[in-house]
Amino acid sequence: MWKTESKGAARVEEALKQLLPPCQIKCPINEDIQRTNVLISLLPEDPELAKTQIVEISDYLYEKNPFFNICGYICGLCELECNYKTKGGAIRRRLLKRFLSDVYTEHLGQKEEYSIVKDKENVAVIGGGPGGLMCAYVLSKKGYRVTVLEASDRLGGALWLIPGYRLPPEILRTTMSNLVRVAGIDVKLNSKLGEGKLTIEKLRNDGYRAIFLAKGTPYPRVLTFDGEVVEGQDLSGVMYGHTLLYEVSHGNLGREYFDGKKLIVIGGGNVAFDVARTARRLGGEVTVIALEAEDKSSRDGIPADEEEITAAWEEGIRIVYSRGVEKIIGEHGRFKGISCPKCTSVFDDQGYNPKFDCTDCISLEGDAMIITVGQVPDRAFLQREELLDEKGRLVVDPFTLQSLRKGFVFVGGDVRRIGFMVEAMKEGLVATESIERYLRGLDMREGRKRDYEGYGIPVRKSYKPEVEVAWIAPEKRMHFQLFEKGLTLKEAREEAKRCVTCGPCVSCKACISIGFEKSLYAVEVDDERCSGCGICVYACNYDSARLTEVEGNTISTTDMFKCKSCGMCVVACPSHARKLIDDSTEQRIERVLAVL
Amino acid sequence: MKHYEPKLVCFSCKFGWGYLADEEGLHHRIKNWVPIICSGKIDAIHILEAFKQGADGVLILGCPEGDCHYQDGNFEARKRVYLLQRILEAYGIEKERLKIELSVDPEGNTIPQIVKEMSDAVAKLGPVRKTKDRAKTASVAHR
Repeated sequence: MWKTESKGAARVEEALKQLLPPCQIKCPINEDIQRTNVLISLLPEDPELAKTQIVEISDYLYEKNPFFNICGYICGLCELECNYKTKGGAIRRRLLKRFLSDVYTEHLGQKEEYSIVKDKENVAVIGGGPGGLMCAYVLSKKGYRVTVLEASDRLGGALWLIPGYRLPPEILRTTMSNLVRVAGIDVKLNSKLGEGKLTIEKLRNDGYRAIFLAKGTPYPRVLTFDGEVVEGQDLSGVMYGHTLLYEVSHGNLGREYFDGKKLIVIGGGNVAFDVARTARRLGGEVTVIALEAEDKSSRDGIPADEEEITAAWEEGIRIVYSRGVEKIIGEHGRFKGISCPKCTSVFDDQGYNPKFDCTDCISLEGDAMIITVGQVPDRAFLQREELLDEKGRLVVDPFTLQSLRKGFVFVGGDVRRIGFMVEAMKEGLVATESIERYLRGLDMREGRKRDYEGYGIPVRKSYKPEVEVAWIAPEKRMHFQLFEKGLTLKEAREEAKRCVTCGPCVSCKACISIGFEKSLYAVEVDDERCSGCGICVYACNYDSARLTEVEGNTISTTDMFKCKSCGMCVVACPSHARKLIDDSTEQRIERVLAVL
Repeated sequence: MKHYEPKLVCFSCKFGWGYLADEEGLHHRIKNWVPIICSGKIDAIHILEAFKQGADGVLILGCPEGDCHYQDGNFEARKRVYLLQRILEAYGIEKERLKIELSVDPEGNTIPQIVKEMSDAVAKLGPVRKTKDRAKTASVAHR
């Protein structure tokens, strides 16, 4: 049975990370996707036997990404760039991570704490969401004494707003509690900055030498029309989607909360659909009003994911496109309805600038209205802490994330720019590097810029279609359990096997980590023997063997960053001009044949 | 008469055969076994060398169609075996002596059995007749 190593020759070096498969470039934290795909494809058939290996693969992923199991439910950005998508379907990597999570999350409680010597400075992280925790995790591993100050009574930040039918709350809870335990992070819950005496200055006086501010966006954005706030948002029956999801995550709303009610959800993003599908599961009859158009390929196309829209439609939610909200109509202090003019365009060359045709206006009536048009940071806090400029904008260096007002403060995540969980985590990583350089007195920018180069898909005779993913039938989905069925071990192995390892060996090393190969053999071409016939170019599926002109002669070369050391070109060469250096295969064959 | 035990050389691909097994243990059960990173890496020279050094048969175990880790290595190996079988026949080495099987067995437990089956088939053919023996027979037949 193979065991996967992550030290020594099997270690993936940071410096060479510029050469990556397209999926790993798309991933903001450049996770080792290719390596784990190969390892998953080599799992045993027996689920019990596979558990040890799954834990090994997961431990490897966890080192760099302690949120990887959550990614398996809510991310999948890598799939957008997978080369296989043009040949039968992107590798469903999100489901592969979910598959690992199904075993690993249970195991997390037994994961041993990292033994780290914490002899460096004290750093404070404000905000216990994915951005802040990622920074805390990496700084802790480097030996800093990190304290996370979280305003609420639980870690997780915006992740708690994700409905349970997409991300089970137990997974989130287990992941959060074990993360801080394993990395030895000190957590202070119910510690809201700006409340009472808790300010950034006080933290500084308490001995924190650097601060990472990752407070996120705790408040919903109010509804505006033509630059003005729409009146009536304080009517009874008008609420914000952000608040609804928050209440649901705390278990404060009963399952029949919206029974028999007609609800209107305003918004066209993924969060609006989270809200709509949540409201539906609470018994409501839901209509979504989106500013954007139905055609996702147009500039004004609705931003929500195709999958969310399909699922919502299956669940009986009505979607109305290209409409804005001009007026909220109330009666005796209660919400009654809205008036919706046609939105003729959302974006123009300058950006977000919606235009309406008020002669084409429809009225909609409902029992309640749920506004989900975005979230905003705590501006008052940022103002008090003097982190904004005269125009009210956050003054932060976008490359180092260092505040240009207070050098020891670093800002990242949703509070700086709203994005996905993994984007906040990336900013946590950038802040970690910046904080380390700041505290060690090093140059803040040197050597940090990364220009990534992607690879095309290797050639092969046949390609396979992606695995079929099943959703529970819509009529059976009216609860908050997962609606998507995960992969079985067999399906996971087959799906992982589809990965054609587009990326260079230096960023993978899966075969070395399990002992299949000692090292990545270099290919040597004997110029004297090579006739420039080009058969090796045909034989190489990775576009590594090439013909080139040297002093008027055509000879073949090998691009070592594309080479997989497979040896196909060596065998194909009719002149025996190629060989793999340090490869012991020839000697092993000779030894066996000698004793026949 | 001494019981004739044919000498078989077995090449197998690491990505499809025996990667879940204890390699030490398998080496005891399979004689003349060469695990290799890809069946496509087996050159015609290796196969011919095997026969030259006294093998009575060569068995190649590669991965199933469409499953090669290096894209088309198993396809190349099969092509090579196909062509070599024809050439070997012209030299009096029967095509049953060179076999390729494209399948997957992570535990590697079926390898000894596949080797045994081929061994039995090759045993019926007897040892590979050396060229000088064939020349002798031919000259004897001529008289």
